[in-house]
Amino acid sequence: MKNIRSFFNEYPLETIIIIVAIVLMILNPNKTLFGLGYALKTYLNLLPIIVSVAFLMGFISEFLNKKTVSKLVGKETGIKGVMIGAIFGTFMVGPSFLFYPLFKELREKGAGVNVIATTIGAWSIKLQWLPFAIPFLGLKFTLLFDALILIFAILSGFVVSWFVKR
Amino acid sequence: MSTLIFGISFLAFVAFLYFIYLSRDKKKLKRSVNKGIKTLIKNSIRLFSIFLIIGILKEFLSKESVGNFLLNFQGFKGILSGFVGAVMMGPPASGYPIGKYLLENGASYSLVSSFLASWVMLGIIAVSLEFKYLGIKFAVVRNIFTVLSIIVISLVIGVIL
Repeated sequence: MKNIRSFFNEYPLETIIIIVAIVLMILNPNKTLFGLGYALKTYLNLLPIIVSVAFLMGFISEFLNKKTVSKLVGKETGIKGVMIGAIFGTFMVGPSFLFYPLFKELREKGAGVNVIATTIGAWSIKLQWLPFAIPFLGLKFTLLFDALILIFAILSGFVVSWFVKR
Repeated sequence: MSTLIFGISFLAFVAFLYFIYLSRDKKKLKRSVNKGIKTLIKNSIRLFSIFLIIGILKEFLSKESVGNFLLNFQGFKGILSGFVGAVMMGPPASGYPIGKYLLENGASYSLVSSFLASWVMLGIIAVSLEFKYLGIKFAVVRNIFTVLSIIVISLVIGVIL
């Protein structure tokens, strides 16, 4: 009982989702099983990234010191750090939220909020899906769309660092 | 597929980092492996339940129903209605066919871009996790700016195309 309670305290949203899934499983097993299958497939497909992020966090917390991180991507690096974030975000693959715990760790180690905001913004570009987007939406639309997102991402770094101190 | 290839190369990179630092400090290495395992379990519970809810919700939102809903709106209202893209589930790549469907049925480029931009830039799951990990202030400022940017991006695309 105590274990269940501490699980709920740690993962309130997740517990609710599990309960909803169990209820739906009874009401509509077909659709829910399909959803469960989708969840398993997605999880396994992303597992290498999930494992990498977890161990990279462990690595960063022990082996990287504040000085190195803030010299490379600290708030004071300004446009240089923001450009690093923009390039990093553009080329990364997978949902951005997988990396949020990593961003938190890096922020505690001295990474600037401007760099993190730009990285998250540039993540929307989804470079790897360009070959899929062009046949559906046309070359002109796709390139213009991604170019505008990149501009937004760089600007958002400056806006966020203006309002958020650290 | 490309995600899996990327994931495996990323994993190799992290393994390489561990390998290089292996000899430096055994104690630190043990601590980072411990932290890695703990984080892995925590993130797995979080992410799996998110994927589960996405999988279930996906069953209820069909391409045509979303497309037909959006086709009711035009002009600036169309841009605003495009924000339903934020509650769409699944990888943004599955939004491209919806975008095509909208364009074929006479929707403006502005509507399609605000729909797709909301999908990739404002995903409701990503935003809720952003609050959790990066703090209220960071998430509020960044997402308000994102909403404004989506409107500007859609207007610019509408003017150019």
